[in-house]
Amino acid sequence: MGCRSREFFSNDSSSSSSLCEALLFATMYIIGLPVDVHVKDGSVYSGIFHTASVDKDYGIILKKARMTKKGKGDTNVGKEGLIDTLVIESGDLVQVVAKGVMLPVDGVNGNMTGKDEEAAEHTACSAEKPKGSLMDDKMQVNQSRQDEYDMVKGQTGDCRQEFEFAKGKIVEKVQGHSSSPETDACRAQVEFSEHGHAYMTSKPSGNGSYSAPKSVKANDQCCEKSNLVNFAATNIAEVVDHVSESHNMSAKSAPRSTESMKNAKEFKLNPAAKVFSPSFVNPISVTPAGPPVTTIANMAYLPNSSSAVPIAAIQSEVGFNTLVSRPSLPVKVAQYGNLTAANGGNGSQFTQPIVGQLMHRTQPVRFAAHYNPVLSEPTYMQPSSAVVVGRSGQLVYVHPVTHDLVHGAPAISPVPPRPLLNMNQVQFPKQQGGTVGQVMPLCVPPPVLATGQQPFALQNHIPVLQPSLPATRPIPVLGLNGFYGTKF
Amino acid sequence: MATDGSNPEDLGVGCLLSIKTTYGDEFEAQLITFDRLSNMLVLQEPSKPEDPLRNIRMLKANYIKEFIFLGQEDNPVDPNICFVDLSALQAREEAAIRQAELEAERIGVGVTSEAQSIFDALSKTLPVRWDKTVIVVMDEVRISSPYLPESVIGGTPAANERVKKVVELERKRLQLRRTSGQ
Repeated sequence: MGCRSREFFSNDSSSSSSLCEALLFATMYIIGLPVDVHVKDGSVYSGIFHTASVDKDYGIILKKARMTKKGKGDTNVGKEGLIDTLVIESGDLVQVVAKGVMLPVDGVNGNMTGKDEEAAEHTACSAEKPKGSLMDDKMQVNQSRQDEYDMVKGQTGDCRQEFEFAKGKIVEKVQGHSSSPETDACRAQVEFSEHGHAYMTSKPSGNGSYSAPKSVKANDQCCEKSNLVNFAATNIAEVVDHVSESHNMSAKSAPRSTESMKNAKEFKLNPAAKVFSPSFVNPISVTPAGPPVTTIANMAYLPNSSSAVPIAAIQSEVGFNTLVSRPSLPVKVAQYGNLTAANGGNGSQFTQPIVGQLMHRTQPVRFAAHYNPVLSEPTYMQPSSAVVVGRSGQLVYVHPVTHDLVHGAPAISPVPPRPLLNMNQVQFPKQQGGTVGQVMPLCVPPPVLATGQQPFALQNHIPVLQPSLPATRPIPVLGLNGFYGTKF
Repeated sequence: MATDGSNPEDLGVGCLLSIKTTYGDEFEAQLITFDRLSNMLVLQEPSKPEDPLRNIRMLKANYIKEFIFLGQEDNPVDPNICFVDLSALQAREEAAIRQAELEAERIGVGVTSEAQSIFDALSKTLPVRWDKTVIVVMDEVRISSPYLPESVIGGTPAANERVKKVVELERKRLQLRRTSGQ
């Protein structure tokens, strides 16, 4: 059939490839519009067109839908009341009617505005068309982005690919830029695919992947989701770089905060995502300066044999069991009197953060930061990332194999406790070596010092450790109350 | 041109069709595209002379009962040059959702249309919201079923009076409408 995305990109103007594309285009065009959907039993539902699943069949999702005409069948949807999200599967779908629209013709953007966007879009399209080899990367990129939103990995429906790619065209432009249309596009693309793919998957396999905390940079978010598809970050980076080079991005200001907020919003929209196993890398650039940032790899990590106690329980792909803190190891870290207490109650919550790749990729990261009491609540898990973000003021420090910290890092100097940066702010040191392009998300929870005094404080910058450690080496975690997770 | 409808995909994109669905819907539209994989047709209804806006339909081909070929026009939508502005889409959807939420708040669930009319009338001049089946005005005055002036409770005497008056007026209006309408 119908949708041959590759042909499209190789400038094949066969009608069959353009057919599917036109369907995708029309689908995208009606997003956000109120539509009437006729279903098999004769009922009609009116709602806002949110997204569609175009993998193999055509199913749709409406937002704020209500039944406007009752059909013959008994449905699980009543006539009364507003349905927040209504999924209509392909088998039930008869017709989607969007009233009062105008399809763009000849490059005219129907009810959109902006010749600039047109130009940019065309540039994007034309620039990317000849790059057949790029397409795969972009598909992956798109997929990786989607994975962030609980996409099913490995879906390779042609139409969907093309669809995603079409979105990707705009999304690609976002990479590396902080201009608003692109970031919005990225957001749009992501969100767009979120529901669509969540719908398609119908299983929470990817639930764990969700957008990074607010502080994550837009382009990072867009670029670097690599969890479910095992997408090599290098690919993304390459693609991104390539795309950036080949396009002239219109310089529209896009507030990153908007992007962040949007992502946070997306994050909240997908509450289930928090609960699941980490599935994506959350790249965050390390900011050496700035407010007292205690960039700390919030890794709850419990070595099997070590007595060190991970501050937060972490699920690690490597199989390290994470634990709630247990103040037993003498660590440089400031004492975290409340660690135990905090963790006690929150132990269950710690399963979320994942040391992830840090554990098994040997990306020991040294963080110069204040140490906080145990992370009470990891925000998400990142199997592929070295750092787990914790929400509470506790933080777990992932210490590289080097025992500097354990044995009294000379670099550490006592500092008065001060609030850490906003909890959600995560900084990721770029990992060198092994995982190219992958960054470890670090959690910088605000320091919650039970005792109020930290024995020492690290500098704010987070030096990147050389990947000298074997991938499977557990990352020692600098725990609260002076725990030091020894690697074993 | 075949009018038997057995091979819709043989017809070119851009042709005008008069389609009748298995549910009895009949409309005229121009074929924009057809996706074989999902069996979906994308159609565009003709626009009225003054109104550039038109309806777009996505119809599953299974449900075409019959269609008549009316003519052939150029493909109005060239996918190679069309584009969507994702950011605008996003914004549009968000705005629509917000609007829908607002409107949903205005509609009482499980209330009579009369109650809804009273609510709507009140909302023109006063901040009102639904609390299950109780109309809450300015967060102080409550009007519960049967939404008579006597059912107005609470709030400051002035507010109460005001609400009572509006309810009275609205009821009268409804009465008039009902009697005149019949």
